Amino acid sequence: MAASTTRIWDPTVRLFHWLLVALIAFSWWSGEQHDMERHRLSGYAILALLVFRVFWGFAGPRTARFGSFVRAPGAVIAYIKGLGSRKSHAANGHNPLGGWSVVAMLAVIGLMVVAGLFSVDVDGFESGPLADYVSFDQGRSAAQLHETVFNAILALVALHVVAVAFYLVWKRQNLVRPMITGSRKTAEGESAADLRWSPVLAIVGIAIGVGVAWAVSTGFRF
Amino acid sequence: MTLSRSLSLAVLGMSAAVVAATSTFAIAASPASTAITTRQANFKKMGGAMKVLKDQLASGTISKPQAVAAAKTLAATGRAQAGLFPNGSGASAGVKTDALPAVWSNRAVFDGQMKAFIAQADKLVAVAGTGNADAIGAQFKAVGGTCGSCHKQFRADN
Repeated sequence: MAASTTRIWDPTVRLFHWLLVALIAFSWWSGEQHDMERHRLSGYAILALLVFRVFWGFAGPRTARFGSFVRAPGAVIAYIKGLGSRKSHAANGHNPLGGWSVVAMLAVIGLMVVAGLFSVDVDGFESGPLADYVSFDQGRSAAQLHETVFNAILALVALHVVAVAFYLVWKRQNLVRPMITGSRKTAEGESAADLRWSPVLAIVGIAIGVGVAWAVSTGFRF
Repeated sequence: MTLSRSLSLAVLGMSAAVVAATSTFAIAASPASTAITTRQANFKKMGGAMKVLKDQLASGTISKPQAVAAAKTLAATGRAQAGLFPNGSGASAGVKTDALPAVWSNRAVFDGQMKAFIAQADKLVAVAGTGNADAIGAQFKAVGGTCGSCHKQFRADN
């Protein structure tokens, strides 16, 4: 083994990430096509992903835990001050600023899903599974919010891509490969902590995510 | 005390003036802009009626009187709508409208779409009277289809 590597992203986090990318793209596309049947399904899948990710934020390995990557303002400021330096640094999961980006991303996509659940289209013909709990006007407001929040998602995605590109060009660190393979190269003499996670808990989290999404998709009518 | 009192009187007076000005403005509104606001209110009413049926179908419990009333609202309001697109009530009327110029440049097709909607809504009234959820669901889809196909051609997608 020439260059040694260490695992930083567990498989479920990577799967979560790339499925979210694909599903957000598909949601946009199906929405534009007015293919509401598939648009709803895509939304339920995103809801399942979000619920799993929040669960994993408490039950997952260290790089997935909110407790380890949501950092105090001091750490964030120190990180920002070091951004100009071309020296790369050990990427042991989310950096202090990126951690907050994850929180923002989850919050905004969560708002997007919730707004979608209550949305009613202009014809009163298509609607989210929880729309019968609100009036036509409230459902229309939810739909407008659903459209507006998409811009916030686009902005966060753009920021994310710019940050990854910045690391690639300025710091000569490839952050995409670890999100695919799960591992990054270690510096000489570096001993990184291993990534411990429980497959049983992962299955529990996936089951909770799918269960919640299914319950919501029926409008809580079982 | 006197200052705040005269202030509140002034505010009251100004609000009255604003109300008066607005209502004068409303009275002075052109027939085209009145047509726009009327048809928009009507479309909202139709959307609400559609939602009544949709909610019943989603919950699986049909309330016959409500379903019939909603279907009747759709049919009656649809008939009124056909006459609420006079010439000049497009974007040029100065009121925000999603009605595309095609409504007037392609009038025969537009009128045909309106007729198709009214025909399907009339059928929905009859089907709603049966209280049969499957039949109402199928006819609801047919009505919604006429909404969508007309909107695709004649309503700005935003």
